[in-house]
Amino acid sequence: MSSASSRPTASSPSGSPDATPDANAAPILALDAVTKRFGGLPAVDDLSFAVRPGEVLGIIGPNGAGKSTLIGLIGGALAPTSGVITYAGRAIADLPPHRRAHLGIARTFQIAQPFVGLDVRDNVIVGALFGRRGLRRPEAARVADEVLERVHLTHKAMLKGDQLTVADRKRLEMARALATNPRLLLLDEVMAGLTPTEVAQAVELIRAINRDGVTVLVVEHIMRAIKGVSDRILVLHHGRKIAEDLPDEVLADPKVIEAYLGERYARQRAAEREGAATSAATGAATSAADADTDAAEEPEWKGGLA
Amino acid sequence: MPNAQILVNWLLIGSFYAAVALGFSLVWGIMNIVNLAHGSLLILGAYVAYFAFTALHLNPFIGIILAMLALFVVGWLIQYIAINRVIRAPLLVTFMLTFGLDLLITNLAQQFFTANNRAINSSLAGVNLTLGAIVIPVQNVLAALIAVLLTAALSLFLARTRTGNAILAVGMDRDAARLMGINIARTYALTFALGAALAGAAGAMLAMTLQFQPVDAGQYTLFAFVIVALGGLGTPWGALAGGLLFGLATTLSGSIQAIGPGLQTTVAFAVLVLVLVLRPRGVLGKAFYS
Amino acid sequence: MATHAPARDPLAGTGAAGVRRESREWLWSLLAGVAILAAIALVPLSGDDAALSLWTLIVMFCVLAQGWNFIGGYAGYAAFGNVVFFGIGAEAVALTLLNGGPFWLGLLLGTLAAGLFAFLLGLPVLRLRGHYFAIATLGIAEALGELVAAKAIGGPGGEVSLTPPDLDFHIANTLFFYGFLALSLLTLLGTAWLARSRFGVALVAIRENEEAAEALGIPTFWYKVGAFVLSALPTALAGGLYAYWFLSLQPTGEGGVFDVGYSVSMVLMTFLGGAGTIVGPLIGGIIIEYLVQTTTVAFGDIHGQLLGALIILVTIFLPQGLIRLVRELTVSPAGVKLSYTRRFTEGVRRVQRFIASNGI
Repeated sequence: MSSASSRPTASSPSGSPDATPDANAAPILALDAVTKRFGGLPAVDDLSFAVRPGEVLGIIGPNGAGKSTLIGLIGGALAPTSGVITYAGRAIADLPPHRRAHLGIARTFQIAQPFVGLDVRDNVIVGALFGRRGLRRPEAARVADEVLERVHLTHKAMLKGDQLTVADRKRLEMARALATNPRLLLLDEVMAGLTPTEVAQAVELIRAINRDGVTVLVVEHIMRAIKGVSDRILVLHHGRKIAEDLPDEVLADPKVIEAYLGERYARQRAAEREGAATSAATGAATSAADADTDAAEEPEWKGGLA
Repeated sequence: MPNAQILVNWLLIGSFYAAVALGFSLVWGIMNIVNLAHGSLLILGAYVAYFAFTALHLNPFIGIILAMLALFVVGWLIQYIAINRVIRAPLLVTFMLTFGLDLLITNLAQQFFTANNRAINSSLAGVNLTLGAIVIPVQNVLAALIAVLLTAALSLFLARTRTGNAILAVGMDRDAARLMGINIARTYALTFALGAALAGAAGAMLAMTLQFQPVDAGQYTLFAFVIVALGGLGTPWGALAGGLLFGLATTLSGSIQAIGPGLQTTVAFAVLVLVLVLRPRGVLGKAFYS
Repeated sequence: MATHAPARDPLAGTGAAGVRRESREWLWSLLAGVAILAAIALVPLSGDDAALSLWTLIVMFCVLAQGWNFIGGYAGYAAFGNVVFFGIGAEAVALTLLNGGPFWLGLLLGTLAAGLFAFLLGLPVLRLRGHYFAIATLGIAEALGELVAAKAIGGPGGEVSLTPPDLDFHIANTLFFYGFLALSLLTLLGTAWLARSRFGVALVAIRENEEAAEALGIPTFWYKVGAFVLSALPTALAGGLYAYWFLSLQPTGEGGVFDVGYSVSMVLMTFLGGAGTIVGPLIGGIIIEYLVQTTTVAFGDIHGQLLGALIILVTIFLPQGLIRLVRELTVSPAGVKLSYTRRFTEGVRRVQRFIASNGI
């Protein structure tokens, strides 16, 4: 209906249609000094970053770092307290979520939000009927079947939204978002709670979506998965950006390790490595008394750290 | 009317309104139930106190305790038998259920107690303190004190006792509370019973200070809702703040000639809709009971 | 559609089968509704005036429930003050007639006024959710009734007596009966259209999960306003017809045109039949109003108690409505073929589970 005016047919206007992120292209999404406060407490604090068309940007951070708030700010469920959010060259911070969906931003929810009274297929049809495309009924049904096939939910198309397992709910979240034909896909912990096999499937799916020219922003807790899927990783801690770099660089960054695993482990790592990082980590570790020893016993980056 | 008299009237009616809303606020805050039968429970409490006074010749203040006990039992049974069966259902289901209860109770009250206006005419009624030009009805002052006392007692009970903590825990996260070994069905029944008992106390105060009849029930449910919307669902003190605010609105609108009589409901709703639109969580409100 | 369904998976066709089942159900619902109304259309042939006025009331309540179904059943918004549109429609006709205007003008003005009122009212209150929306709508209806009474609109206390139409009594009543019936048919067709439209899908999505609906590109707020206006229109028309049929109006109190009892009936009837279904409100309206009218005659003193008990029983034991109950008892889950007895016993189990799942 109202989406008629904003329905471009090309999948990626400013960026290259293939999967290689173009470092020189104008960013598809840019945040400039964005802050979101809840009753005085900043959940996202003076955050700036840009996403290039066609790239997969991973966002990690410990619990309460502001990851889901960030997704809400970009998707439109939350309004920033201050700052500018630009999408495809246009300021979007004042647009309601449905307008952003028409422009090609799709999101999933950390806690799956299926339409519980509808079956899986109808859930996905809603995405195709509205979203960026705004299809008619028959085409929407066809798109829904294609998308369900893609996320391996075809055999559960008849089940109701509340009859699904956790993994299938996450798949349904992905399917619904995909059915809107997004240019920018925001994935909020779609891999949390999945088995290693399912995580591998999800990683493969995200790669395939990205190969089709969709820019993806992946918020995750699972390090290994996000490392495998992201072109770059941004780390949030207490709502602030503490690192933004290539995956290997970020995961070796003492600040990041400290934020995730506590100070004692950070110092251990730093001591092992010696070199320049040592002074930075110990300098910050002024109060080792309440270091997170539980986390320190898990030296590998695996599993959800929550 | 001197301003000081308006002030006194406001404090007295405001505290009474707080009592009207206290139980309603508890039930809503903990169980997310808007109890449309609240007003009819309140009226039942008024009848208990009324008959305790007229038939048993008991002191009206003992009537308050009797009304609380009787309504506690009624409330427990209602929650245990009926509302617990639909507690997870969509909002309209509990809404309709409590409306059905209201209809049933109001009509039964009308059948057994008739539609006559009643009031307790105790020896205290009509006894006033006069301070210069200001008239202070003693019975209303005592009722107002009891209202504040009940608010404080509920607040302490929730904060300091094991049972009160269990009620709060269930209100915050039902499933987590269940895992902690709290019996949800019983805690809900207790919460509703407490809400009903508080409604009974307010009803007894109503019988002492004003006239009442069964069809007044709907009006008090409405008042309770407006008061909670004004004060917010935060704490028992929210009901007191809301009661005082609502008392202010009615006292002022009653003394403004242009609005005139017969429009109390309209004023209540005008206030309500304004608050809802401007401050959807109430004037002082937090998201839930804590 | 079926040709596009992927064929590798043995169960892959189920999606298309679901669509076929749904469109079959849609057709059956529509036909059932038309058949019910056609059967009711025969009532005047009996020549019984009491039956005629009974069924006029029943059909009127069906229209009210059908109107409520748009906002309450499809969009899932707990509107508890839809009687306000009924009252506006009735008052518009009364005031037009009192001022010497024609009946049709009153109907038109009332419908327009109610639609506009729903729109303007929706702008603030449809931002509210849950209980707050329910009570805000309830309150506006109560307040408007009180205002009409206090400002003595149409007469002292807002009470109005109208001159009957210049027609034979029996003919006039028959015309009013068919007027309500035509309105009910129109609303039925409107509901059937809605159920298959994008508008309807959007409303159901809003009901099932508003945040997700918005994120998928549905302008939820405007669709809700649309549903609210849509529910106001038949309700106001029914109010206008009622005013000229009943001739004496009061704003508040039992039977008053702003009485909350109408709102309650709308909700109860829609719930009993099945909220968000095509014929549910029609069936619920017939059952409840027939029971109410006959019990009022038989047990006048205690019909309030009976109605209260009925509401309690329906909400506890039939929260999903009769239509969905029938579906659960007859349809196999997920396209698996079962014998009728198995379907029924499985259905009973599902219904028991459903009722139990509402409790703790």
